Amino acid sequence: MSQWVRKGIQTGIKTTAYPAREETAAGVSPGRPVGGDYSEQTTEALIACCPTQALSQIDHRLVVDYRRCVHCFRCRDGLAASIAWQQGYEWAGAAGDEPPSLGDEFSRCSIHILVVDAGDCGACLNEVKQLNNPYYNMHRLGFFITPTPRQADILLVVGPGTDQMRLALRKAYEAMPAPKRVVAVGTCALSGSVFGPSFVSAGGISQILPVDIEIPGQPPPPLAILHGLLAVVGRKAPVSLISPAPMAADKEGV
Amino acid sequence: MNHAELEEQIRRRWPGRVNMYRDTSKTLVIEPNLSLLRDLCGWLFTGASLPFGGTVVEESADEWELRHIFYGVEGGGWVQVMARQPLAVKTFPSISTKVHAASWQEREIEDLFGLTFEGHPLLGDFVLHNDIWQEGVEPMRHQFNAKTPISERQPDPDWRPRRIVQAPGAFIMPIGPIFSGIAESVNLQLETVGEDVICAFPRLFYEYRGIEKIAEGRAAADALLLAERFAATTAFAHALAFCQAAETICGIKVPARASVLRVFLAELERFRHHVGAISAICESTALAVAASQMAILEEDLLRLSGVLAGHRYLFGLTTPGGMCKDLDSAVCQKTYRKCREILAQMERLEEMLRFSSSFLDRLEEVGFISRDETLNHSLVGPIARASGVVRDLRKIQPYSGYECFDFETPGESEGDGYARLRVIFEEARQSVRLMKQAAAVLEPGPVRATIQFKAGAALGWTEAPRGAAFHWLRLSEDGRVVRYRIIPPSFINWHGFHLSVENFAFQDLPIILATMNLSVAENDR
Amino acid sequence: MNPDIFLYIMAMCGIGGILALLLPQRHSPKVIAWVGSLTALFLIGGGGRALFTTSAIEKTLWTIPAVGRIVIRVDPLSGLFLVVTGVVFLAVSIFSGSILLRLLNHYNLKVYALMYLSLFAAIVWILISADVFSFLVAWEIMSILCYFLVAYEDENDENPRAAYLMLAMSEAGALAAALGMLLFAAHAGSLEFTALKHAGATGQISAAMRWMIFLLTFFGFGVKAGLVPVNLWLPRAYTAAPAAFAPLLAGATLNLGLYGILRFNGDLLPVLSSGPGLLALIIGTISALLGILYATTENDLKTMLAHSSIENAGIITVGFGAGFVFTASNKPVLAGIAFLVALYHMTNHSLYKTLLLIGSGVVDDRAGTRHLNQLGGLIRQMPVTALLFLTGVLGIAALPPFNGFVSEWLTLQTLLRSAELLSTGQKIVFALCGAGLALTAALAVTCFAKAFAMGFLGMSRSPKAEQATEPKFSALASMAILSVLCLLLGILPTYVIGGLNHAISPVSSTNEAAAALVPPFFNGSPGHEKLPAAFLSDFHDLGAQVGQHIAPGPGLVILHRGGTKNPVVFAASPTYMFIVLAALLAVLFIVVNLVFGWRRTVTRRPCWDGGIRRLLPEMTYTATGFSNPVRVIFQSVFRPTIVEDTRETVGEHFRTAIRRQDEERHILDRLLLTPGRKTAMAVARFFAGMHQGHLNAYVAYVLGALLAGLLMNYLL
Repeated sequence: MSQWVRKGIQTGIKTTAYPAREETAAGVSPGRPVGGDYSEQTTEALIACCPTQALSQIDHRLVVDYRRCVHCFRCRDGLAASIAWQQGYEWAGAAGDEPPSLGDEFSRCSIHILVVDAGDCGACLNEVKQLNNPYYNMHRLGFFITPTPRQADILLVVGPGTDQMRLALRKAYEAMPAPKRVVAVGTCALSGSVFGPSFVSAGGISQILPVDIEIPGQPPPPLAILHGLLAVVGRKAPVSLISPAPMAADKEGV
Repeated sequence: MNHAELEEQIRRRWPGRVNMYRDTSKTLVIEPNLSLLRDLCGWLFTGASLPFGGTVVEESADEWELRHIFYGVEGGGWVQVMARQPLAVKTFPSISTKVHAASWQEREIEDLFGLTFEGHPLLGDFVLHNDIWQEGVEPMRHQFNAKTPISERQPDPDWRPRRIVQAPGAFIMPIGPIFSGIAESVNLQLETVGEDVICAFPRLFYEYRGIEKIAEGRAAADALLLAERFAATTAFAHALAFCQAAETICGIKVPARASVLRVFLAELERFRHHVGAISAICESTALAVAASQMAILEEDLLRLSGVLAGHRYLFGLTTPGGMCKDLDSAVCQKTYRKCREILAQMERLEEMLRFSSSFLDRLEEVGFISRDETLNHSLVGPIARASGVVRDLRKIQPYSGYECFDFETPGESEGDGYARLRVIFEEARQSVRLMKQAAAVLEPGPVRATIQFKAGAALGWTEAPRGAAFHWLRLSEDGRVVRYRIIPPSFINWHGFHLSVENFAFQDLPIILATMNLSVAENDR
Repeated sequence: MNPDIFLYIMAMCGIGGILALLLPQRHSPKVIAWVGSLTALFLIGGGGRALFTTSAIEKTLWTIPAVGRIVIRVDPLSGLFLVVTGVVFLAVSIFSGSILLRLLNHYNLKVYALMYLSLFAAIVWILISADVFSFLVAWEIMSILCYFLVAYEDENDENPRAAYLMLAMSEAGALAAALGMLLFAAHAGSLEFTALKHAGATGQISAAMRWMIFLLTFFGFGVKAGLVPVNLWLPRAYTAAPAAFAPLLAGATLNLGLYGILRFNGDLLPVLSSGPGLLALIIGTISALLGILYATTENDLKTMLAHSSIENAGIITVGFGAGFVFTASNKPVLAGIAFLVALYHMTNHSLYKTLLLIGSGVVDDRAGTRHLNQLGGLIRQMPVTALLFLTGVLGIAALPPFNGFVSEWLTLQTLLRSAELLSTGQKIVFALCGAGLALTAALAVTCFAKAFAMGFLGMSRSPKAEQATEPKFSALASMAILSVLCLLLGILPTYVIGGLNHAISPVSSTNEAAAALVPPFFNGSPGHEKLPAAFLSDFHDLGAQVGQHIAPGPGLVILHRGGTKNPVVFAASPTYMFIVLAALLAVLFIVVNLVFGWRRTVTRRPCWDGGIRRLLPEMTYTATGFSNPVRVIFQSVFRPTIVEDTRETVGEHFRTAIRRQDEERHILDRLLLTPGRKTAMAVARFFAGMHQGHLNAYVAYVLGALLAGLLMNYLL
């Protein structure tokens, strides 16, 4: 057994410095398109090529709705004039108007997470699993996976919400003690992605449960999920789910 | 037995009663009398020892078309046994009493099309759970509207789990659909009298997303998104199978560079998948350091994929006709070199694992599947190869130019968890070997052929990391999907799952699950 | 005191029996309830007085010419047994008043009442008789009445068979015991116990004869006590006995076997060598282990309790054995402690076993079955019964603050005192037995966790269990009496030890045992030899003198003192522990309410089931499943034979049924009874072979016999 101890020590520290510092390693995130001002022609072509209507035109600007983007890369690779691409991973956004944080008293507590797969393809789940690996190690930030909703503070849902998982999902949510937050991970869980809404999938978890934090991406990279979890405990601010971000004034005007 | 011999034998056995013809590709289509269907399939399965691939049902304007697909004919060929019925007649003879591997295929068809299979003893309550869905919903029929959610539900109020164990004090241990850790949703109903699992009954399809139904009517490129995203840990293999089916229909040859890139990416995916699988096995035996070390390698490979292809799970790379974009040969070389380093690290861990007795004790002679049962269920992938059935579509039905590469398909005979682990290790090694060769033969050139869609149907297949994957695709003239049928390896292998857990103790269950490495998402579609 | 009171008690039983015969049948349960409980109260009073009188009281009833005097004699030892018998009869009589009514139209209740009260009288007679003749007569009456009572519900064919087995084995035991007594009496030249005791003390009996008498009486009485290897009758008879009678088998008649062993081998003919003591230790340990193993895997509540009686009898016998060895090794104080602890455990066993068997009778009556696989969830329908049953379960599983904990803990501590023995061999036997008992205690927790959890918790596994209701008040009252006693004996052990110190006076040469267990922290004078100043101040700081002006008696701490090397060998205070636990819980309750508010809302959600649609009763652990690990670990003991292991399929591979059934034969049946029976049959066959029916063969036998006789005559 000592060989394993030695091996572990020899490996050294692999863990990312996030959230204290930026993670700069290559390949941690696929990046995502950025909306903004494009020529009329480009905008039209871009909107036409998007299979999930994530791109739209509002006030002559190209707007990307990350809740619908499935990382097909058509707007980047498939066209002559491609969309601007942005690296980064701080993607989690608040679902409602309410601040999604559990409250200040939870920012230094250990938080227990119940992961429920509601029809996920395996990628989001695998990225959640990566949070346990030495690179991301969410335990250092006080996040733990729990097997039972009785001890869970966060319900982390992946997948579009299939019909046959609806009951289980609702039961798990109801079995959790208050205060509780629901984190929807992945484009499927936000809008149904390419799967829903259909006769067997809901178009996102928000049709089944009240979602507090939405983490877009197909799949969102581990750091984006970490960002979402940190937003739940109020240690990071959520960002906008559409690009370009709407002005605060616009929001109030509606 | 090659095609000619098969034809000869069948003619001799059933003279004048079987209609046979060769398809364009290496496919022998057999159309027997309906009364002969069961015997003929039985003979193909046991007499001619052809593995059973799956069943495809199509609803045309006036009749049902049923295809039982067998593969592994000598010289690389397929056998399709066809049966037809008028639309009004909703029964076919079941072949699963003779070809046990067809049992779940028939159950699925019964649930989704409403077709009955005469002689099948176990129909109903399979894909559509009877405790949620009323009987009589036939979602795969053309007239069914896939867009509208079903609001009215009349679940069976008296639904009870199936029980077959009759022993004093026997009970069902239900596990899932939500169970501990980061796990996919499946409900395992384990019948037991305590300590040992006597009978295991996996209740699947909690994640049924109706991929095959919602693909209908979509353009091929959009359906490809579904093929890629229904089981994303092996996304590239499934996308490739889909593209190959479309390419066969349209009769396109993919440019050489695209084929080699496809091999390179497919093997990169296999390598990454297997490293993840090994990490999960280590974790199931509570060997935390090894699990973490393997997880480091997995993340390294994910990042490598991200750098090479822009996406950690290799989405959006392949398309009917070739590749969506070209990859830089130098980056491929670099990726291969990095993979070689990762492989070296993996081999060091392998060596250490081989001398960790606490680890081996929990794998050896646990989760045993015999060779006979493997053949009987036509299991595929590392599971079959660990039980002495060394079959690899890359070898027996080569695609994408695999016949030009030099690699070996490992096999073990013990059929236990450790044999499966050794197979996975060896396959990972072979994948890196293939990547080396692929990176070496990358010639500059186009990566995408223009594609002109035609009406037609074809089978696409790949050896996905978990085993043989078959994609049946029928396109209309404007390139829209008419029928899409996926027979993923996990669907085939879940059918044999119960073999591995029965008569083993409860504490072995997580380990067996990890060594079986079955994907629920891939099964449920 | 006047021993006549016990004669009056027996007479009351007789009058009660006649009353039952005269009144209509439906009043018979009432007669049992009133007469039985009143008589029992008198008995508790009489026995209590006998327990605390210093000397034995004897009375000659009459003289029978060929036999001698018929004597009754009450000493503190019989006093204790009388009190325990009284308590058990008190509870069972109250319980009988309601439970018997369900037999009203099936069986003759008048006869039951007569037999019940007669049995009561017979047991009292056994405990007060002081000569071999009347002892044996009373014993036989008791045995036969037990037979009739066990066979009482004879609509089930199994019951008379079980009763018959019990009668056969207890008669064989009685014969052996009688033989032992008569051998003893032959040496003493009298049938009176006083004469026997005198003969035992003067040492006119050879060592071999002492061994002989020990073996005959030990195993003879061991039948009633349920010791290995003569206990095969016990589980079957307990199971067969009517619900109102089974508690008596465990609470009263089992004690008679222990009484016999202690009376003859501790009092009248004290064991002088360590051999018999070690034998008792080993037999006791094996009984305890086998008893609890079979109890753990048993799923019929009553049969489970029966096997557990074997376990408890084993633990008590271990105490006796330790006492015998310490006596023989000239450690009178330790011997006294061992006997005291054994009697403590016996008292406890009578209380909680009676409680649990009454509980099992209630469950059987209200839920329609005793089979744990079909019960479940009763706590919702029968909360009071469940609570009372739980106290018994905690007692028998030896968990504080209940009585079983104190006596089992003391038994184990006593075994550890073997360190003071000189012989290494004896130490090894003690150590092994101690380990065996520790394992027994652990298994007992498993066993009774299963009994309570599978019976009362979880989901109801049968419709009848779902519709069970609380029993009548009298049944609850009878259980409540025993529950309170279980708690009291658990939290006030120092007073119990003081009382039991009287009971062991006939078998112990010293009366220091209680003092050696309970230092006089409350009433001792400081600086006295028993209570050195340094020692006192140490323990004063620990709180050993808390409450000395409120509580009477020597103190509330059990503490055994050793030599200078280890001044304190073992110590505990269940009383303080209980008070502190209760106080902590109360404080916790208050703190929680202060912190979270007195009127906080509590949300109740259904049990988490992993998200399936409905958790069905068949998806929860069964009793078989719960104890299966024990069955697997101890496979070599159970050695199940597979009766059926088949699978049915259709279409070759579709399984429709997997049938499994295995059968177990009790290890004693397997290892002793069956080989014994086979040998006997083989011998019989051999002799049968000699009876060929040919005249010349018989002539040859006669000739052979004649020759042999002549040859012997010549040689001798």
